[in-house]
Amino acid sequence: MEKYEKLEKVGEGTYGKVYKAQDKTTGQLVALKKTRLEMDEEGVPPTALREVSLLQMLSQTIYVVRLLCVEHVDKNGKPLLYLVFEYLDTDLKKFIDTYRRGPNPRPLPPSVIQSFMFQLCKGVAHCHSHGVLHRDLKPQNLLVDKEKGILKIADLGLGRAFTVPLKSYTHEIVTLWYRAPEVLLGSTHYSTGVDMWSVGCIFAEMARRQALFPGDSELQQLLHIFRLLGTPNDEQWPGVSSLRDWHEYPQWKPQNLGRAVPSLEPDGVDLLSKMLQYDPANRISAKAALDHPYFDSLDKSQF
Amino acid sequence: MAANFWSSSHLKLLMDQEEVDVVHSPDKERGLTLEEFKYIKMHMANYIGKLAQFVKVRQRVVATAVTYMRRVYTRKSMTEYDPCLVAPTCLYLASKAEESTVQARLLVFYIKKQLTDEKYRFEIKDILEMEMKILEALDYYLVVYHPYRPLSQLLQDAGMTDMTHLSWGLVNDTYKMDLILIYPPYMIALACIYIASVLKDKDTTAWFEELRADMNVVKNISMEMLDFYDNHKILPEDRVNAIINKLSLKQ
Repeated sequence: MEKYEKLEKVGEGTYGKVYKAQDKTTGQLVALKKTRLEMDEEGVPPTALREVSLLQMLSQTIYVVRLLCVEHVDKNGKPLLYLVFEYLDTDLKKFIDTYRRGPNPRPLPPSVIQSFMFQLCKGVAHCHSHGVLHRDLKPQNLLVDKEKGILKIADLGLGRAFTVPLKSYTHEIVTLWYRAPEVLLGSTHYSTGVDMWSVGCIFAEMARRQALFPGDSELQQLLHIFRLLGTPNDEQWPGVSSLRDWHEYPQWKPQNLGRAVPSLEPDGVDLLSKMLQYDPANRISAKAALDHPYFDSLDKSQF
Repeated sequence: MAANFWSSSHLKLLMDQEEVDVVHSPDKERGLTLEEFKYIKMHMANYIGKLAQFVKVRQRVVATAVTYMRRVYTRKSMTEYDPCLVAPTCLYLASKAEESTVQARLLVFYIKKQLTDEKYRFEIKDILEMEMKILEALDYYLVVYHPYRPLSQLLQDAGMTDMTHLSWGLVNDTYKMDLILIYPPYMIALACIYIASVLKDKDTTAWFEELRADMNVVKNISMEMLDFYDNHKILPEDRVNAIINKLSLKQ
């Protein structure tokens, strides 16, 4: 680890501290993610093993943040695993914030939204083609290179535990805003649709510069969703009323989705509506999304 | 855990036979021949299978463990990485990677109970230390693809599901060789179907032709397997011991 000089702490991820650091010999900027290995009688925790091996497998595409190497160190007899990632200067949450706040609030350029959405769908399609769900997609987990207009998925494999954690080890509440309704309703057999729901929420957030469903409890989260999209029923979503956490809810009628994202063009609203389908089986896949007319005007040769 | 072999690290890690057949210099200095090198790996594959029966894990975990063990020895010597410790540690690591964790305590218990031979006896801390070394030797690439899934799909396609049992057993035997390091899993599956169909006297020529798989590769794999059945099926225990003693692994 002497190879790297820690420059600053850039984040407290769900699973550990993240540092910005510099490779002393090459000058390359990297992100160091420290994973404590609770080595007791059982060696390297299986969760850490799976995370690392999934990252090794998935970080071969430019749409997923690249894992450069893994460093194992013994600090006073306590084993630590450092994951060394490529460094990107910001994340999508901070990126959106610069357009919302600051001296010059303005909408995100439509071409940026379109390009980011394309890269996001590419990355998600890559993960799904490897049978891997992200399960915790949110703007904070999407790293952005402002200059080059590049967006990459990070924190992969971290959400692979069977249930997405409600509280992180730092006791910071994990956000519910991007969580799919089937997860909120306690479905145990969820699939790639959970990520596509999150992608839809992120899409809307870029267009609105604020979250689409900012709930602060699981119930509030569901009510936010129902108020916009209407309360779901077994007709449009077979089996919804048999999900574990289903209750009787107020009956809302679906609102016009376009009104929630007024700055988004009709093709974009159409794609969004396909990502926010209640029945996960009807939700558009990442791969299919790439072929949606919304992306027709995008110069795909740059990817 | 993953579904796409073609963009996997496994594909990129495939090696040529000549690369796999390199006896590392510390081992060479102790007089280990290529044949003995292969013998030990075969013996350790058997040992992993035996341990797996005690701790009750699926065949898939065994296959992954054997693959780890064989990959380790494409990069590290047996002098530095004692096979008697590497084998159970690979099983331990594979059980975690395949999401059916076996406790180190349990593994050590069975090793001690079943094997009186001093050179196989290790403590939990030995396994945990070796786990870290193996992880580094494998460069943390833990996802391995196996011929089992393509085998079922291909048999279904060929309408020969009655040969499942036989060809499944053949696939298990392929781990006694280095085939998994050299060939894509579906090719190994095809070779097993090929051998099974010959044994069962089934005509699969038309089906293979339609697949347009490279029959040279299928036949190469089959030849190696048949050679294994002819020559190596029984591994004399004293021979193994002689080789291990030559490496004088446990000081």
